[in-house]
Amino acid sequence: MKQTADEARATAAAPDTAARSARVRPAPGRRSIDRLDAVLGGAVRAMLWLWVAMLVILTVWVVITSLKTNREVFTDPFGLPKSPQWRNYSVAWSVSGFGQAAFSSVAVVAAAAGLTMVLATPASYVLARVDRRSASRVTTYFAVGMGIPAQALVVPFFLMANDLSTFMTEWVTGWWDDRISLVLIYVILSLPFTVYLLTIYFRSLPTEIEEAAAVDGAGPTRTFLAVMVPLARHGLTTALVLNIVALWNETLFVLIVVGDPGQRTLPATLLELYNTMQYTSNWGGLFAGIVILVMPMILLYLWAGRRIVQAMTQGALK
Amino acid sequence: MTRAVAGVRGERDRIYLPYLLPALLIYTVLFVAPAVVTIWYSFTDWAGLGTEPRYTGLANYRRMLTDTVFLTAFRNTLILVVIGGALVFGLTFLSMVVLREMRGRAFVRSMLFVPSILSPIAIGTAIGFLLNPDGALNRLLRDAGLRSLARPWLGPDLIFKCIIAALVWIATGFYVAIMMSRVDAIPEELYETARLAGANRLEQFRHITFPLSRDALATGAVLWVIGAVKTFEIVIAFTGTAGTPPIQARSAAVQQYLSVTGGVSGTPQLGSAAAIGVVMFLLTAVLVVALRRLLRSEAVEL
Repeated sequence: MKQTADEARATAAAPDTAARSARVRPAPGRRSIDRLDAVLGGAVRAMLWLWVAMLVILTVWVVITSLKTNREVFTDPFGLPKSPQWRNYSVAWSVSGFGQAAFSSVAVVAAAAGLTMVLATPASYVLARVDRRSASRVTTYFAVGMGIPAQALVVPFFLMANDLSTFMTEWVTGWWDDRISLVLIYVILSLPFTVYLLTIYFRSLPTEIEEAAAVDGAGPTRTFLAVMVPLARHGLTTALVLNIVALWNETLFVLIVVGDPGQRTLPATLLELYNTMQYTSNWGGLFAGIVILVMPMILLYLWAGRRIVQAMTQGALK
Repeated sequence: MTRAVAGVRGERDRIYLPYLLPALLIYTVLFVAPAVVTIWYSFTDWAGLGTEPRYTGLANYRRMLTDTVFLTAFRNTLILVVIGGALVFGLTFLSMVVLREMRGRAFVRSMLFVPSILSPIAIGTAIGFLLNPDGALNRLLRDAGLRSLARPWLGPDLIFKCIIAALVWIATGFYVAIMMSRVDAIPEELYETARLAGANRLEQFRHITFPLSRDALATGAVLWVIGAVKTFEIVIAFTGTAGTPPIQARSAAVQQYLSVTGGVSGTPQLGSAAAIGVVMFLLTAVLVVALRRLLRSEAVEL
């Protein structure tokens, strides 16, 4: 692999080199282009490895810093801690609110991602399978939503969440949790992409199996639930994982909709702690918070990395 | 069998509306309709909850054209989209030249992708700490005897450049993945033929890789525009939300967030927040249509 383009070409062209070199003379400037190519190739390879190294170093540095005392964070930013301060994690978890925030994150993301699938799966199935002109128009209509920035919805969602909270507190339940509003907003925002992705996926599945199920006397609902959903589980998992990644990292609507800092999700809690650093200077705890926020996504990537990459790229290319 | 198949179709027709309507209604009533209502709010002056919106016509838009704070925010967003995009795709093309046959390419590709699934808040907080005036980077530079290179990275002059650099560093892996997944589909024979004809890597890129991945470039560029116009998290991770981010660092989305929550003045301006949302949508739409025109190409059959 270290071989240059010249060598590669020499090997590939070896059999008829003699015959060719007799007739074909390299064009002027040819050599300098080849040299540029070799230099550029080496430089880009070095850049890519440096890039990967930065990523690894940054990750390792964050983990190490999360185990340091405040003093060590500043006096020796690149050294190892004398003794690892696991306390930073328990302080972040219970004092800085990362425990509550982790619960909020898991609950909100699970509810929103699950509800999105429940709404999008049947819709995408009929959009992919029913042979009506309206079906392809509705698919396009959903796709348009992917191009509308969430910022075009910030003001109405802010007002709707407020009205919903007031209405429920005064007329219906006597209480309200802004995190429920957040779940609803997340479902609404996730629908266009999920419907679009799943419609493409259902279209790619063979129709014979459904037809066989119908011959066996299964109704459309049973065919959908007992045959198509299991058959589509690969695509469904992919859509679910993509939504989990996007919602886990979402920050804007948490800040706008959830008033009580104790009810906010992990990214907003990290931001909150970062803002108070000049008063609390709990730097080890801040880095423990970064690890708590990032670790679940890294584990998810280790488990389903190839699938995430495939879905994010190929979903985009279709 | 044909009757059974016809039966399947007929029965599927019966479930069409019940299966479709819940998602379609929610999308229409709670996504499309609010987006349209935003246009109406953008024509009002509205100090937030408890007060009434007052119709002021195009005042919010006129103010955006004259107010330096708004202009800076939109200029920053444009710079992010255009310069950031040029850097992202420049780096992506460079990577494509070597990533096809480099040793360890699968590992490099999967590592570069990681930042795009991590919270920009987390990455921004960590990098922001490194870039602090007394932070680790300046200390490192001083220790290495490069004191003259130490800078207030997060000061008003440099902070936005640092934000662009961080965003490019975070995002590029995703676009490398998109482009490479198309490059993977190009038959190896094409490259062999090219090598036999004496083409080096740059020429192979120019004559094979680039033309055959143009449709992926069109898609990738559209995704970049849609994402970059919304840039929010990485900015507030660098600046924090306590107090307000310096004007030099604000993107349109950050300015909108400040307008909704009140920012320093404490008085929300929902009308101008809505107007910012509308302009961001228009910006996205115009750029996407322009890119489609610019990068339109006949699909190449492989």
